[in-house]
Amino acid sequence: MDELLAQFLVEGRDLVAQAAAAFDVLARDPGNAAAIDDAFRAIHTLKGSVAIFPMAAAERTLHAFEDVLERARKGSMALDGAGTVALVACLDGVDRWIDDVELRGALGEDADGVAAALIAGLPGREAAAPVSSSAATPDWARQLADGAEGPVVAFRYTPDPDCFFRGEDPLAIVATIPDLRRLDIRSAEGRWPALDAIEPFRCISILEGLSTASPEAVRAAFRMMPDQIALHRIEAAAPAPAPDAPAEAGPTTTLRIDAARVDALADGLGELLVAVNALAPLAARVEAQNHALAAAVRTAQADIERSAANLQRSVAAVRLVPLAPTLRRLPRLAREIAATLGKPIAFAMLGDGLEVDKQIAEGLSEPLLHLLRNAIDHGIEDAATRAAAGKPAEGRVTLTASREGDAVAITLADDGGGIDPARIRATAVARGLLEAEAADQLSDPAALRLIFAPGFSTAETVTGVSGRGVGMDAVQAAVEKLLGTIAIDSTPGQGTRFRLRFPANALTTRLLVVEAAGDRYGVALDQVVETVRVAQSALLPIGEGTACVLRGRTVPVLSLARLLGGTEQLGAHAKLLVTSAEGERVALRVDDFADRIDAVVRPPSGLLAGVSGIGGATLLGDGGVLLVLDLPALVA
Amino acid sequence: MTVRIDADAIHLIGRCAAEDADTLLVALQDAPGRTVDLGAAQRLHLAVAQVLLAARPPIRGMPAADFLARYLLNLLQ
Repeated sequence: MDELLAQFLVEGRDLVAQAAAAFDVLARDPGNAAAIDDAFRAIHTLKGSVAIFPMAAAERTLHAFEDVLERARKGSMALDGAGTVALVACLDGVDRWIDDVELRGALGEDADGVAAALIAGLPGREAAAPVSSSAATPDWARQLADGAEGPVVAFRYTPDPDCFFRGEDPLAIVATIPDLRRLDIRSAEGRWPALDAIEPFRCISILEGLSTASPEAVRAAFRMMPDQIALHRIEAAAPAPAPDAPAEAGPTTTLRIDAARVDALADGLGELLVAVNALAPLAARVEAQNHALAAAVRTAQADIERSAANLQRSVAAVRLVPLAPTLRRLPRLAREIAATLGKPIAFAMLGDGLEVDKQIAEGLSEPLLHLLRNAIDHGIEDAATRAAAGKPAEGRVTLTASREGDAVAITLADDGGGIDPARIRATAVARGLLEAEAADQLSDPAALRLIFAPGFSTAETVTGVSGRGVGMDAVQAAVEKLLGTIAIDSTPGQGTRFRLRFPANALTTRLLVVEAAGDRYGVALDQVVETVRVAQSALLPIGEGTACVLRGRTVPVLSLARLLGGTEQLGAHAKLLVTSAEGERVALRVDDFADRIDAVVRPPSGLLAGVSGIGGATLLGDGGVLLVLDLPALVA
Repeated sequence: MTVRIDADAIHLIGRCAAEDADTLLVALQDAPGRTVDLGAAQRLHLAVAQVLLAARPPIRGMPAADFLARYLLNLLQ
């Protein structure tokens, strides 16, 4: 990709995010001068950036956008709630155009029309903006206003041809325009069709007219269809105030580095850590011959280890990126999805300032978008159901990101209808995913997890938004690829919560080393729920398998040695490693527990890549290789 | 019942919804040039108004609703 364009895609989205953050503040605190300034600076800079790309419509929109903010800054216009909504709509439009340029290198064909609609929707547009002067008034508006006395607002409303099917009545909308002075209904096709060619349910009208009310009041009548309306105030407008020299953004103190270089640094550091681990056995060997030399080697080892650990923290910190860029498109997408489905949604994000490893930030975008779509489409009920349940009309969807010890927790909660485990069981059986008997035996939490099974979809009608049930299994796969876990809580009638947990620091993984079938294996500590030692007699044969009771719950016990194709050593006590697979606890019997180590786990490659249950491999200090098990895959 | 057809006219009565456009259209196609009486109309959906604008039947009656009387009637006459 063209380097200039690549840079624009990053910076342009940063600027959109800055402006969006400012509008968040304005939504809570209208008139906040600092936020208006922030938004103005971001939009001004963005306007300059788009000018060098084939984005004329975006430039025009941003120019009008900047005008509005300029007037708000000067105090000549107050930004109210509706005004802020229109500005956010503009910002969303520009963000979509940035996507278009990334995907296709140019704006879509409809860009000019979209720009005109967005600009027309901006608050106080007619009052001072240059295009509202009589010179720029289109002929239709001038003809309508011909003979009118005093300032009037001319409107042209071009309803969507399919609007009747949506239950809209453009005539009823026009009837709500205050101080209507004139109304014309013309055929959009130039002339009305002959009697036998009329399609009665297709809207072919254009409604035009005049009102002596303020442009804002006229626009308010059309607030549901801002893209179908053009407004012009007919009078000589005062010349627009010349904008000041805009405040320049302060000097930037961040450095953009190619991510591959940071990755190379992290890889090199991982190898250094492994090399340092070789010093301890070396000191032990020297010990036998020369005590003083061994002590010196150990001192050197401690120094190198300390420095390497510091360096590791620094590199890990470089790889930490704020979650905000990953999440910042979600509010816009939530608005779009909600609009498509006709469900009013209040979407809130908390904790987007949290920093996570780059790999996690990058991998989160898709699964979160999918969960968001599902929450709005399947989670939030339609207006009538919500009203009947006594819930507010606006569905609430909240995304929360927080740090929990060594993990990053991301929760997406909705206050919708919840998931009914009985319906999930029935659907899974109907889809042939499992037998009815097996479904009945599943606990409710386990039944909920069936939605992650490939080929599962509870949507009775496939919607364009949520698609055809490809997805929840993809969400789970994406989360597991990031060494994360996903959990569901759902209360029928009250809502659903998806909880995602990821290791905060992906550079090194804390491993528990276990012994089984005469070999040592690593297990990621975050896959270990607990380790316990029970008497051999506590293991109960159940059918062909074995189980034991842990904390009041029956947990199946599998032999790790047998899973790996070896034989286990039986003793008076069994050492169990409890893990969680698809929401259910499973105990693995191991021969022994060994150390806990920090290691750089490399994804499996070559022959290992084809082996199920192997999550990767790591080099040990003595040059040996430790296979790292992927427990959920192993016990599945 | 918002479209009533009798020997001498098609009467649009009360609040005429989008569905009435079809009934009205069929009535006008059956007897082009038949008079449409708006005297009892309170509201016309744009779908109904479109049929009237395209078919241009003779119109009679003065709708009680102010919006229809002031803005729509003159477009139809």
